[in-house]
Amino acid sequence: MSYQTTTIAGMSGLDAHDERSRQAQWQADKWMMSGALFLGSAVFGIIGLPLFLRGLALQLKAQKAGLTVRPMMVTLIGYLVAVDAALNSIGWALDMVAHHTLLARVFLMAWGNMFDAGYFWHYNELWIGGASAPGEKAWEIALLPLVFSMRIAAAIGFLQMKRWGHQWLIITCWFGVVAWTGYIANMTIFADVRYTGVVFPVIGWWLYDIFYITPFLALPYLHSVNREIFSH
Amino acid sequence: MNDQPISEQDKRRRRGLIAFQIVCYGYLLTMFLIQMYMYSTRDW
Amino acid sequence: MNKDQINELPLGTSPAFAGMHKWLQRGLIVCLTALVLEGAFTFPLLAMWYGWPTLSLQEICTEFERIRFSDESRECIYPYPLFGPAEGAGQTTARDQWGIQPKPQYKAIGYRELIQRRNDRLAAQTTESGGEP
Repeated sequence: MSYQTTTIAGMSGLDAHDERSRQAQWQADKWMMSGALFLGSAVFGIIGLPLFLRGLALQLKAQKAGLTVRPMMVTLIGYLVAVDAALNSIGWALDMVAHHTLLARVFLMAWGNMFDAGYFWHYNELWIGGASAPGEKAWEIALLPLVFSMRIAAAIGFLQMKRWGHQWLIITCWFGVVAWTGYIANMTIFADVRYTGVVFPVIGWWLYDIFYITPFLALPYLHSVNREIFSH
Repeated sequence: MNDQPISEQDKRRRRGLIAFQIVCYGYLLTMFLIQMYMYSTRDW
Repeated sequence: MNKDQINELPLGTSPAFAGMHKWLQRGLIVCLTALVLEGAFTFPLLAMWYGWPTLSLQEICTEFERIRFSDESRECIYPYPLFGPAEGAGQTTARDQWGIQPKPQYKAIGYRELIQRRNDRLAAQTTESGGEP
């Protein structure tokens, strides 16, 4: 493999090449990281997109110039998984600890009334506050601190091409499969609470949420990529 | 390594991963269809 | 497969998985774009549907509470006292068809219907109090 010959040879010319590659990657990452911060904040996502795309373009350019940068798939999966987890975290953190803010009581209620009455029905009636749909709170408690925060940490390690990053991304993406499976089973079982009296039942929820299937897209890659490239 | 044809192990792994994806997306589709069926029979 | 094609494969992708990885990449790009657009536009569009900027966010919040709890005396308290009890604690007015599958009896809220709802109420109040305010 070309990667291994590069490291084994280790001559000064290759050292220079390595150094330039590292710089190009860091340059691209600076754009993509600041972009991803905005993307993960939902409301400011549109600001983040051009920043992120510029970073992506820089990385592509470096790759075309023959520098050894991160594979495009690793970049996409790492950032997308982090953004997905951040977006999920915002909504659920609002519901868990900020359920009496105006933002939650307008945004979550509006979203709930339109797509999923789990965020409307008897809202803020439980002593713990927030969503009252059967099972919803339990999913939040299990998924927010475990899956999503761990997945963000794993994505950072993954982007640095660390071995633990690859391994932990596999673990947290499998968490994601469990989360999706259980969550939509719960939703289907209590569908009457979730969909009665909402503006766009069923189709609205699926259209909105289907783009969070990133773990299903990431896992086949994580299990088929040559894991020797994660050796930093 | 690059010159070799696709190895037996890779073939099996690819089959497994394709099966995994079919199961995942099949499950999602099933749940969606169940919900659509419920939608058609209830006054949501 | 000849050497040129193999050299074009991204680092870490073996020929056996080249096709699958390409499809996964397309899916990832679609998801990323969709998530960004959703994140950016959901809040403003929802706010518009429910009557902003004609209604303030707090007024929308109040209408939501009245519909949710079927209680026209509810007011959205903001800022809500920190460490206070949940705003709906002890509320028993929300209407459901109870059973193993509870079915709420509120109706879906149409496009900018909350404005109409509020205007109707204000109009009814003026007639009750007898004439022009």
